[in-house]
Amino acid sequence: MDQRQKPESGGISRFAMECAASAATGAMGAAVAVGGLQGGIGWNEAGPEPGTFPFAVGLIIVAGSLGTLVQALRSRDDGVFLDAVRLRRVAAFFGPMAAFVALSLPLGLYVASALYLAGVMALQGGYRLRSAVPVGLGVAVLLWLVFETWFQVPLLKGPVEAWLGLA
Amino acid sequence: MDNLAHLVDGFGTVLSGYHLMLMVLGVMLGILVGVLPGLGAPNGVSLLLPLTFAMDPVSAIILLSCMYWGALFGGSTTSILFNIPGEPSSVATTFDGYPMARAGQAARALTLAFLSAGFGALAGVVVITLLSGWVAQFALRFSSPEFFAVYFLAFASFVGMGSGSPVKTVVSMMLGFAFATVGMDTVSGNLRLTFGLADLIKGISFLVAVIGLFGIGELILTMEEGLRFDGIRARVGLRDVGRAMRELPRQWLALLRSVLVGCWMGITPGGPTAASFMSYGLARRFARRKDGFGKGDPAGIVSPEAADHSAGTCAILPMLALGVPGSATAAVMMGGLMIWGLTPGPMLFIDQPDFVWGLIASMYLGNVVAVALVLATVPLFSTILRIPFAVIGPVIVVVCFAGAYTVANSPFDMGLVLAFSVAGYVFKRLDYPIAPLVLAMVLGDKAEDAFRQSMIMSGGDLSVFWSNALVGSITTLGLAMLAWPLIGRLTSIKARTRRTAGAERPD
Repeated sequence: MDQRQKPESGGISRFAMECAASAATGAMGAAVAVGGLQGGIGWNEAGPEPGTFPFAVGLIIVAGSLGTLVQALRSRDDGVFLDAVRLRRVAAFFGPMAAFVALSLPLGLYVASALYLAGVMALQGGYRLRSAVPVGLGVAVLLWLVFETWFQVPLLKGPVEAWLGLA
Repeated sequence: MDNLAHLVDGFGTVLSGYHLMLMVLGVMLGILVGVLPGLGAPNGVSLLLPLTFAMDPVSAIILLSCMYWGALFGGSTTSILFNIPGEPSSVATTFDGYPMARAGQAARALTLAFLSAGFGALAGVVVITLLSGWVAQFALRFSSPEFFAVYFLAFASFVGMGSGSPVKTVVSMMLGFAFATVGMDTVSGNLRLTFGLADLIKGISFLVAVIGLFGIGELILTMEEGLRFDGIRARVGLRDVGRAMRELPRQWLALLRSVLVGCWMGITPGGPTAASFMSYGLARRFARRKDGFGKGDPAGIVSPEAADHSAGTCAILPMLALGVPGSATAAVMMGGLMIWGLTPGPMLFIDQPDFVWGLIASMYLGNVVAVALVLATVPLFSTILRIPFAVIGPVIVVVCFAGAYTVANSPFDMGLVLAFSVAGYVFKRLDYPIAPLVLAMVLGDKAEDAFRQSMIMSGGDLSVFWSNALVGSITTLGLAMLAWPLIGRLTSIKARTRRTAGAERPD
């Protein structure tokens, strides 16, 4: 009966991804429409109430998401969206990046960048620590020079900068 | 001739040591951004924009626009030498540029690309010089309904003219509008769509969205492909430039056609990417010998490059004169204009002639500077791509997040970039167009204000959008654009049913 080929183990089919994307955009549309309702969608002395426009936009998003879902169901593209190899590549890039963002909240951007760079170079790039650490520190110092000194735009700082007396 | 006098004044503003230095800096940064995967023109301009908040607007726009030109050139360099388009708009250049470079003619491919790109850009600036005064004069007659109709037409043409699924275009665009409404409502002062989150009160900046969607999203895509740079080494000498200059006139027909396509797509919101593909397709269709295409035909390099750059420059015209940018990068620059306290639109030509004509004059100079610099620095920038990705990748990531933080000094924005990057990656893989989303985020407030003011003018009557011949024809054209995909589908269904009916009949 089922002639469709199941995607290989560990992979995600394009069809599943299309449906997931439609669901996500649809949910956002619904949230926007509800938010619009809270702002009021009637008419007052200043013209249309502030929620009118978001409400309409939210409804169009929901309708459009239904449209993309219908398209996905009709074409039923069972090609592979991400196989296991590619999924691993994406995760290997995204994981450290998310960790960098999480680390930069308590530690500040400079320290987190140095750690992130040195970490990725050492763990994924196969560099020895004696070259990874200087590169990480060097890029952090360069960032400092560009942002704090040259353009005078402050970046997020943490306890280390305070300890060094820089913040 | 009024325009010429203004242009001379503009050159007077631009020809200072400081501005020439900014041009060189902008072009160099642009080439760097264009060469590096993940960092494209819209993203590069977004990263640089917060650093220009304190600058004088003329200097700031010179820096940003020159970065744009540089990025367009940088994108072509990697297309030809590495078969990796640095910019979406230089994808079409890989078709013939890389084969020619592989055949040992890298210098010829590069010089042909750069010179035809420079020609396209200059043609685009000439079009802007000639048309801008006139377009602005015309647009002075606009009031709120006309402005809303123009925005409507711009967005409708994304749906009607876009290459992808129209429904996906609508979803992406409307998400952009939704993001634009988050935060303080400019008319009533109420908070909207903040869902009780204090971090959302200031709204979602389009810069943060661009950095996530274009920058990091593109990087994830590059990583997924398993990046490998097998570049071709090239050095461009003066003799190569001379030879390409002699070769270029033989491509006059392709050049002319590409410039026409490019200017049209740049002024209407088709954008450089669509222009370059269209121009490449036309070159192939009209070629006397088609077998050379894909194997390094010079017309296959000249056509997309000239169209790409003329579209890129022409995209500035509707941004300045109407406040409707013709490309994603122009949208970001227009956001910059608003941050610097300028209002894009016809009044800009009257209130800020120094700014407008300074920018136009800088486009002439900036593109000449860009051609010279890019020819001189090809070896330098292709070395950068040889730095292992385990080093350059994280550096790009760090620069993107630092740039996002500088937009509003908000750590929350870094989380938003992460979310937008996932969305950008998934959207790109599933062929949701991203440019309409960015355009909607930049224009959202203005479009909504125009709509609300028109509604107040008419007391809630939609017929205000047909109240005179001008606004009526723009609105109707917009509706036609929206209906275009439907009409196309109906006719194809009719043709298909006729064919199947015809197939069933013969017994």
